[in-house]
Amino acid sequence: MVRFFTRPFAKRSRSAYRWFDERTGSTELVHKGLYEAVPEKGGWAYTLGSATLVLILLQLFTGIFLLLVYTPSFTEGWGTLNFLQTNDRFGAWVRGMHLWGAYVLILVIGLHMLRTFFSAAYKRPRELNWVTGALLFFLVIGLAITGAMLPMDQAAYWTLVVVTNIPHYVPGIGDGLRQLWRGSDFVGQQSLTRTFAIHIWVLPFLLFTLIGVHLYLLRRHGEFGSWVNYTPATADPEKELAERLRRAEPPYPTRRSERRWAVPRRTVEFFPTQLFKDTAVSLLFVTVIFVFGYIVGAPLSAQGNPATLTYVPTPEWFFLPLDQVLLLAPGTDLIFAGIALIGVASVLMIVLPFLDRSRERQPLRRPEVLLPGFFLIALLILLTVIGANRLWNL
Amino acid sequence: MSTPMSRRRFLVRLTNAGAAVITLMLSIPAIGFLVSPLFQKRTVSWVRVGDIDNVPIGLPTPFVVAMPIGQGPPGPPVNRIVYVVKTADSRLFAFSNTCTHMQCNVHWDPGLSQFLCPCHGGLYDLTGNNTGGPPPSPLPQWIHRTLVDPGTGHTILEVQNTFDESI
Repeated sequence: MVRFFTRPFAKRSRSAYRWFDERTGSTELVHKGLYEAVPEKGGWAYTLGSATLVLILLQLFTGIFLLLVYTPSFTEGWGTLNFLQTNDRFGAWVRGMHLWGAYVLILVIGLHMLRTFFSAAYKRPRELNWVTGALLFFLVIGLAITGAMLPMDQAAYWTLVVVTNIPHYVPGIGDGLRQLWRGSDFVGQQSLTRTFAIHIWVLPFLLFTLIGVHLYLLRRHGEFGSWVNYTPATADPEKELAERLRRAEPPYPTRRSERRWAVPRRTVEFFPTQLFKDTAVSLLFVTVIFVFGYIVGAPLSAQGNPATLTYVPTPEWFFLPLDQVLLLAPGTDLIFAGIALIGVASVLMIVLPFLDRSRERQPLRRPEVLLPGFFLIALLILLTVIGANRLWNL
Repeated sequence: MSTPMSRRRFLVRLTNAGAAVITLMLSIPAIGFLVSPLFQKRTVSWVRVGDIDNVPIGLPTPFVVAMPIGQGPPGPPVNRIVYVVKTADSRLFAFSNTCTHMQCNVHWDPGLSQFLCPCHGGLYDLTGNNTGGPPPSPLPQWIHRTLVDPGTGHTILEVQNTFDESI
């Protein structure tokens, strides 16, 4: 023991690390995490998944800090945030980052999905990577919308009223669902308490559980990448495939995959080649959030007033397509039809790998999937633009 | 004759049964708690709106009322609007300004001579009937009654913290 304290520092710390490593296997764990093969081509496109993870962790981090001041109270909640906005520059900055983090996260998770959709990475055996990813997308949207209800300014109060009213249109059980969310027929303190619990516990718990499954599946099957990594480079594709399978590095060859798509032509190590790109892209997004969170920040309108006759409730930008559907469909049946249509589209999106079972991975050779997909995206953008235009002219 | 159960199989069954009982014991109170708001009794109370003698005929006049929620744990009352409407044929209405579409805040628009919802353009006439936009049903009224103030002889309006129809 005495020798431990008399040896030079470098030696001491090395032996301390060895002690720790022998008991925890930390080096092996880090190596397992870092030295994985990933497809060589298209690495910049595959950074969106890790960027999504970074942005979710940023939301967790900034969200925990907001809990240090915010009180989920109908009467006091707004005041706690107003205090941040007027008296605490850093608090307002953290709040700004939480808001801009949510905006960027929605965009990035959308792009991540789009990339996966375009390169058909959801096909066998990665169907459940897609299903968990799609569920994660909806959880993020759920977190964004419940988060928008909490500040108890006018915008938040009216979001709380309108969004908790949507389940009311489900035939039969609608009123019950609305009452369970609100805790009462009318929006009151219980509605905020429940939405707060959903935002900080229920949805994050589901989110992080699913992220665990999503990452486990990613590591089990390996990154698919896209078709460009699998096109044969030689005149004898059969021989080349056999050679690829023979030389495959873990996690390849992908189990339960067709021979043709089991091993990328060339791979690189995750560390440092891919991790560098991941870090660069995450750095870009976090910088945007850091800057916008400070300069633009998060708006806080006047304290929520259920008796206002002048305030015009407007949805967050990511809810504009839904709002536009509500506008276009008059009468109880049509409103339900509109909401049901969005529900059906969401379910179809989640089960996409079970609808598109062809083996084709080349985007240009599967228009039957890509065209409806792009039509849907165009529709979302169109509804957003029409909605934004309507609000602009209000 | 059935073969006797092995010790291993017996243990597996016992383990499963134990886990099932734990799950059940956690589920019963949790699920009951989750759905309990559906079965709680609603406390109905009368709230004084005020003297309505000065409300002009044909012009909806908003009053702000601190309305008890009447359900769940005690919480602060919520300020709500009561639009008092007197018609030429001496009918009295006590409308909420809650749109039946998405529950946004409608207001009386003097230019249109209609109630207008700013969210999706729902319209209602003086007596709350739908005249345009997406709302599926007429403007709800608070359940109400009038009394005469014994001191002044003025008409006092009181409302209940419930609508006359569910929206």
